[in-house]
Amino acid sequence: MEKGLDLDAPHSMGTTIIGVTYDGGVVLGADSRTSTGAYVANRASDKITQLTDNVYLCRSGSAADSQIVSDYVRYFLHQHTIQLGQPATVKVAANLVRLLSYNNKNMLQTGLIVGGWDKYDGGKIYGVPLGGTILEQPFAIGGSGSSYLYGFFDQAWREGMTKEQAEDLVVKAVSLAIARDGASGGVVRTVTINSDGVTRNFYSGNELPRWHEELEPQYSLLNIWGAAASPEPMSM
Amino acid sequence: MSKATFDVPPKGGFSFDLCKRNDMLIKKGVQPPSFRKTGTTIVGLVFQDGVILGADTRATEGPIVCDKNCEKIHYMAPNIYCCGAGTAADTESVTDMISSQLKLHRYHTGRESRVVTALTLLKSHLFSYQGYVQAALVLGGVDVTGPHLHTIYPHGSTDTLPFATMGSGSLAAMSVFESKYREGLTREEGIDMVSEAICSGIFNDLGSGSNVDICVITKGNVEYLRNHKLPNPRTYISAKGYSFPKPIEVLLTKVTPLREKVEIIEKGDAMEE
Amino acid sequence: MTKHQANWSPYDFNGGTCVAIAGADYCVIAADTRMSTGYSILTRDYSKICKLADKCVMASSGFQADVRALQKLLEARHLTYQHQHNKQMTCPAMAQLLSNTLYYKRFFPYYSFNVLGGLDDKGKGCVFTYDAVGSYERVGYSSQGSGAKLIMPFLDNQLKSPSPLLLPAQDAVTPLTEAEAVDLVKTAFASATERDIYTGDKLEIVVLNAEGDRREYMNLRKD
Repeated sequence: MEKGLDLDAPHSMGTTIIGVTYDGGVVLGADSRTSTGAYVANRASDKITQLTDNVYLCRSGSAADSQIVSDYVRYFLHQHTIQLGQPATVKVAANLVRLLSYNNKNMLQTGLIVGGWDKYDGGKIYGVPLGGTILEQPFAIGGSGSSYLYGFFDQAWREGMTKEQAEDLVVKAVSLAIARDGASGGVVRTVTINSDGVTRNFYSGNELPRWHEELEPQYSLLNIWGAAASPEPMSM
Repeated sequence: MSKATFDVPPKGGFSFDLCKRNDMLIKKGVQPPSFRKTGTTIVGLVFQDGVILGADTRATEGPIVCDKNCEKIHYMAPNIYCCGAGTAADTESVTDMISSQLKLHRYHTGRESRVVTALTLLKSHLFSYQGYVQAALVLGGVDVTGPHLHTIYPHGSTDTLPFATMGSGSLAAMSVFESKYREGLTREEGIDMVSEAICSGIFNDLGSGSNVDICVITKGNVEYLRNHKLPNPRTYISAKGYSFPKPIEVLLTKVTPLREKVEIIEKGDAMEE
Repeated sequence: MTKHQANWSPYDFNGGTCVAIAGADYCVIAADTRMSTGYSILTRDYSKICKLADKCVMASSGFQADVRALQKLLEARHLTYQHQHNKQMTCPAMAQLLSNTLYYKRFFPYYSFNVLGGLDDKGKGCVFTYDAVGSYERVGYSSQGSGAKLIMPFLDNQLKSPSPLLLPAQDAVTPLTEAEAVDLVKTAFASATERDIYTGDKLEIVVLNAEGDRREYMNLRKD
């Protein structure tokens, strides 16, 4: 087997996921790469999963584990919404995520970020990392790409940002992580949730900001070499 | 990252103790029985009217081809089919089981099966076996909500994509899709691209080979094109042919007549009519 | 303290199948031209057949780097032999040399599985078959490599050889004509290619006889 190209390895999302609160709501962001070893199994995956109308979830770690957790939480929240007769709060959603993560910690390899808006608490972000800890945070970062972002967020995050500022920050942060983290890549997806509802945005790889000496995204290596430098046919 | 912690006793779920035992035995040098693996190329794509699935037809057991013309596109429901890669027994049994559940569900609801239903049933089965059921699937179909294509990995994760490949030939096949796929392909363009992707797996991946099977699913119609292409005919057949050099000799003939095991004893009164 | 171990192997297996058949006045040596590793094909056109002397040809499968090293060593040893004796090595002499060369690396073997075919000093076909560490035997026909377990039973069925224990020793050559032997080889390879994933692409056949040597090719399945 080629080094690293282990196609039998479980699917994991070496990921960059972000949740940021702003004045009036939250912005969630994620890259779109799912890999098995060194092979990119899906370059356009959606790691921001809907739980209810007003609560979304960013997934990282094992793809199978995070999908099963989100499927269960979505199912429980549907029941809860019907029994309650009104939308579930972000806090309830996050607590369900925590409950499953904590109770099954020996079988799960997944870190999650819950974000949403409700009429009681407004926009809220909850980080639920590996062991089932729950943390209400002004912003949360997760996945392998997050290690490149702690310093950036300490510097760049401010209280009371506008929606536009928050979304710009998220896109900038994910593109920074994509540039440094080999396990993150593809496009940037964002979900913005506030009192008006939900907006999904998509930033394709070739319109992301580039950093330092980064090359422009190319569809083919031949484009980098240029048409003029087309290789001569070999002759004996 | 530390692996699973063992101080917490597992609650619920299956026990995989025997799997751990098997791993230990293999490490100690015990040879496990070999399974029929479909070192495979399977693909699928969405085209303008529906979904096209494709597969090669080689099944291998180590370096030996054990079936030159097997079927890897499995029936799930009248409007849903599923390509399988991995251990042949696992792909076959898991698709059969879910297919049966779907049929019961149709009897129960009186409605056509949906692709997401099949997807959810497959993924929850595979997840509960934690990757030990080695089935990698490409699931495709057309239902009331339109055409759908999904990939399902042995650990139970799923993806939704406009084009997908799986199996040992997935990289070869994906190179075709990544360079040629676009939205709104016609039926003919779709079939050509799928068979090109499968051929790329057949010729460049040793685990894949023989023929191309294709399944075209559109709204209300399924075409299963078994052996759509036969790109690997036998290259040489001797004009004179070969046979056993001499007929098999009969060395001894002995006929042992069957002995009656039940003795009928005429005794007592005859049964009354 | 963690146990340290080399997570690396000096060997690879590049697949391939070789066959040789000896007749009364000819010898047929054949091999496919596929070279692969794991599930990948490295090339579809690599010759496994090496002409070592005028009347001596070796076909080898196994690990290509070891095979090539072995071929170069034998070529060099044969050149020295020619300088010292002013003649070509005979096939039985080359057979003994190959055995010695393989056994020299008994505890770090050449990972190569060879058949040696040629004509002996009387012009009769001869085939020598080897294991990786130099055990060898003169036979009437043999097969080595990844498809050997498929081809060998077919050859045994078609060409029954006399027991090597018979006294006086019986001729090991097969009763076939040259054309029949070539046809048999083609059939054997076409069949092995159907079932062995490491055999395929092209068949290379070398025929040695009194007139010299002749090479022919036949296409095999490419999947």
